[in-house]
Amino acid sequence: MKLLRYALALTALAGRPLGAQRPISVAGTQTLIFGVVLPGLPAVVSRSSAASAGQFTLNGPHDSQAALTFTLPVVMTGPAAATLPLLFGGSDAGYSQSQSIGSQIGFDPKQPFVITFSQNGRGSVFLGGTAQPGPTQRAGSYTATITLTVVSLP
Amino acid sequence: MNSVSKVSLAGLALLFAGTVSVQGQGVNGSISATAQVQTPITVTGTQNLSFGNVFPGAAKAVAYTDAANAGKFSVAGQGSTPVTYSFTLPANLTSAGNNLPIGSWLGYENGTNSTSGGSAITPSASPTTSTLSGSGALFFFLGATVTPPANQPAGSYTGTVTLTVSY
Repeated sequence: MKLLRYALALTALAGRPLGAQRPISVAGTQTLIFGVVLPGLPAVVSRSSAASAGQFTLNGPHDSQAALTFTLPVVMTGPAAATLPLLFGGSDAGYSQSQSIGSQIGFDPKQPFVITFSQNGRGSVFLGGTAQPGPTQRAGSYTATITLTVVSLP
Repeated sequence: MNSVSKVSLAGLALLFAGTVSVQGQGVNGSISATAQVQTPITVTGTQNLSFGNVFPGAAKAVAYTDAANAGKFSVAGQGSTPVTYSFTLPANLTSAGNNLPIGSWLGYENGTNSTSGGSAITPSASPTTSTLSGSGALFFFLGATVTPPANQPAGSYTGTVTLTVSY
């Protein structure tokens, strides 16, 4: 019976952190907006642009680490399947533990990046980029989907 | 150790195994990237700059207001949008290796197809700014002067004027 009590106590102790642990979640909270683009003129959006940068909100276990991986499109698609090239530079993504767009650590969105969640288990990812319309780019609305995958690290 | 204790320890082991599994899982979130591409610019030469018959030793001018003979270009693009334009102008018209000097270029730009209500310009290779009309139009009218010397060989002389416009 003594062993049984120890075992039950250990089970309870081990179960507490798991039960209190926040599950990881990621939500896209703002579209990466290039706005009005003119043929032949590249349009650049900075990851520090509050109005235009793409934004993701992350939640996870406090102070824990996770790996971020983007799935980035190379083009946006528009009318009659016309495409508009998209480029992402080596510092076009940024992570902010404080979720402040003014306080980011830049990283290459084409490479996996390890983050640490804040003490309250939060963080934000910001994304800029460049749209490169050709000189004869067809007029119209263009869109693409950007996906961020977050994997918890032990 | 009794059988109940063994069951509890097995449960504990499963609990740790569950923790590892949670750490290995990934979650996804998505956003869109969007852009609105505006109308490309088109430039069309709509009327040749025509001097007609020219006589040796007698300069001849065509004014940009000459509806029948002035050179004309029309530009179409995104309404109310600034553009930069420049001209490539010949110094001579040519015919079988002979030159006929041309110069004193004068012009006019307007958002409507008219030589009133717009602005006089001096056509040149230097980039100059303008703005497309609300409907995305811009018109250029061009005049110049040819100065044939007294010994100008007879012939049909031509040259090319190019207008380049960009956002």
